[in-house]
Amino acid sequence: MKINFKSVTDIKNLLTKKEISSKELLDETFDSIEKSSLNAFISLNKEQAYRCSEAYDQGNLHGDLAGIPIAQKDLFCTKDLRTTCASKILSDFIPPYDATVVQNFNDAGSICIGKTNMDEFAMGSSNETSYFGEVSNPWAKDYVPGGSSGGSAAAVAAGIVPIATGTDTGGSIRQPAALCGISGIKPTYGRASRWGMIAFASSLDQAGVFARTAEDCAIGLNQICKYDPKDTTSVDCKKEDFSEAIKRNIQDIKIGIVREFDLSNLDDSVQNAFQNSIKVFESLGATFKEISLKNIGLSVPTYYVVAPAECSSNLSRFDGVKYGYRCETPKDLSDLYIRSRSEGFGDEVKRRILIGTYVLSAGFYDAYYKKAQQARRLIKDDFDLAFNEVDLILAPSSPGPAFKKGSKSSDPLEMYLEDLFTISANLAGIPAMSIPHGFSNGMPIGLQLIGNFLQESQILRAAHHFQLETDWHKMTPEGNMQ
Amino acid sequence: MDNKTIETISYLARLKIDQSDKENIVKDLDKIIDFIGQLQEINTEKVEPLSNPLEMTAKKREDAVNSDNNKEIFLKNAPNSDEDYFLVPKVVE
Repeated sequence: MKINFKSVTDIKNLLTKKEISSKELLDETFDSIEKSSLNAFISLNKEQAYRCSEAYDQGNLHGDLAGIPIAQKDLFCTKDLRTTCASKILSDFIPPYDATVVQNFNDAGSICIGKTNMDEFAMGSSNETSYFGEVSNPWAKDYVPGGSSGGSAAAVAAGIVPIATGTDTGGSIRQPAALCGISGIKPTYGRASRWGMIAFASSLDQAGVFARTAEDCAIGLNQICKYDPKDTTSVDCKKEDFSEAIKRNIQDIKIGIVREFDLSNLDDSVQNAFQNSIKVFESLGATFKEISLKNIGLSVPTYYVVAPAECSSNLSRFDGVKYGYRCETPKDLSDLYIRSRSEGFGDEVKRRILIGTYVLSAGFYDAYYKKAQQARRLIKDDFDLAFNEVDLILAPSSPGPAFKKGSKSSDPLEMYLEDLFTISANLAGIPAMSIPHGFSNGMPIGLQLIGNFLQESQILRAAHHFQLETDWHKMTPEGNMQ
Repeated sequence: MDNKTIETISYLARLKIDQSDKENIVKDLDKIIDFIGQLQEINTEKVEPLSNPLEMTAKKREDAVNSDNNKEIFLKNAPNSDEDYFLVPKVVE
C-alpha cells in the first residue's frame, strides 16, 4: 500500500483498521527516504523505530499518535540518538536525555524515524550551511528547500513522513514550509518547551511542526503546547484542543493587511496569489482591514543584532571540554578552546558569533544591542495596537519561491532578506504559520498568517477553512493528491 | 572594521581567523554592521528596551536532587576525562 502523502489521520485509520502493520509502514518510510535522495536526514533511528513498531503491532504502544512516524529536527536532543545541530562540533554528540518536545511525541506513541538535516545551529535560510551537506527541494533537486528546518520540510513535502518538528527563530519553520509547499506553524514564544532544544537565540527560539495540512498541524500542536516546569520561559496557560478549535467557521474573523509591506517589488505570481487568497478568505466570510505596523521596516536589522548577540553568548558553551569536538593535540587550554571552536564551527556560525561579540562589546553595546532592544519594543507595540483592530494579519511567507542552490550563498545580506516577512513575529513573540497558496515558476509559495499572543487556534482555524476551500495543500511534487 | 577591532573581537569569541580568509570575513562583517547601523537613525528616547517577549521573571522550581544528574553519563560525552573530572591540558606549570 502506498502511504506517501497521507495525513496523520489517514495513517492512523489504516493502522487502527490493520490495513497496514506498523512494520510495513516503517519499511515504506525508510524505503522512500532512500529513494528520495534529498539528504533530508542526518541520522536514521531504524533500530529503535522497529522496536517501537513491534510494540505497536503487538498492541503495546498507545497514545493519540500511536504508530505515526515522525521526523525530528536534529536540533532536539534525543536520548541515545546522535544529535548534531548539523555542526562538526557536535558530530559525535549522543544526548543522555530527550528534549521535552521529543518526549511529548514519544508519550503520544509516535515513532521517531530519524533526525533531519538543517542549517548549522539553525543559522541560515537555505539549508546550505549544514556540515552534513545541503538538502534538496523535493520539487526540483537543484533548488534549496529553505531553512533552517529544510530537512524536516523536505521530508514532509516528499511524502516521507506526515509530520515533522522544526524550530523557528526568524522564520526557520515558515520559510521552508513555504518553499516546499507544505504547512508549518510556529506557536507563541513560550508555548512549546525549549528544554532540550540546542539554543541559538533564546528570546526568539520556538519549536513547532510541519505537516501537509492545518488539521495535522493542530494534531501536532496538541502534543507540544504544554506547560513545562523545566523551561523557565514556558507559558502556563490552559491546554487547548486545537483539533476542536479549528472546526468553527471564520465569519467572525477580521484580517489585517499591512500597509508597510510593499509587495509591488515581488514577482507577479506572488502578488496575484496574495490577492487571490484574500478573495478566498472573503468568500468564507472573513473581513479585511488595512493596518499599520510603522516600525516593521526595522525588523531585519533589529533581528541581526539580537539574534547574533544571543548566539555568541549561547555558543560560548562549545569549548571542547565537556562534550563535542576537541582539536587534536592542543598545546594549552587557550589553544584547545580556540582551535576546537575554529575547526568545529562553519563560516556562517562564526560570522554570527563575531557580529554578536562585536555588538555586545564595551563601547558598542548601547549603540547596537540596547538600540535593537528598543526597536524590538517599538515593533511589538505596533503589533499590540494592530491586534486591537484585527484578529489575524496576512502577509507572504517569503519574498519569492525557492531559489537555486548556491545563488544566494555568497552574500549573507541577501540571504538575511529571505526572512523579511517572518522575523517580526519572532521579535514580538507571537504565533505565525505558513500554508501553500500558489506557485511561481513551478515552485510553491506560501501565505503567512500571523496571530496575537496565544491565538494559535485562530490561525489554525483560518488556515483549515482556507484549505477546505482550496487545493494548494494537495499538490505534491508527484502531482495532485486528491 | 579595522585590524585591531577584528583581532579583539575574534579573541573575545575564541575564534581564529585565517589570514587568507580575513579580507573576505571583514568585508562581510562590514556589510552587516553597516546594515544594522540603520538602527542608529531611529528615535528611541524614553523607549524601554525589550529583552524578552514575555517580560516575566523567570520561574523558580524546587532545588531537589534527582536521578538525572548522573556523573558517568555526562562524562561519557567528554572528549577526555578520568572517572571524576573533565581533563584539559595542564594550566599551572
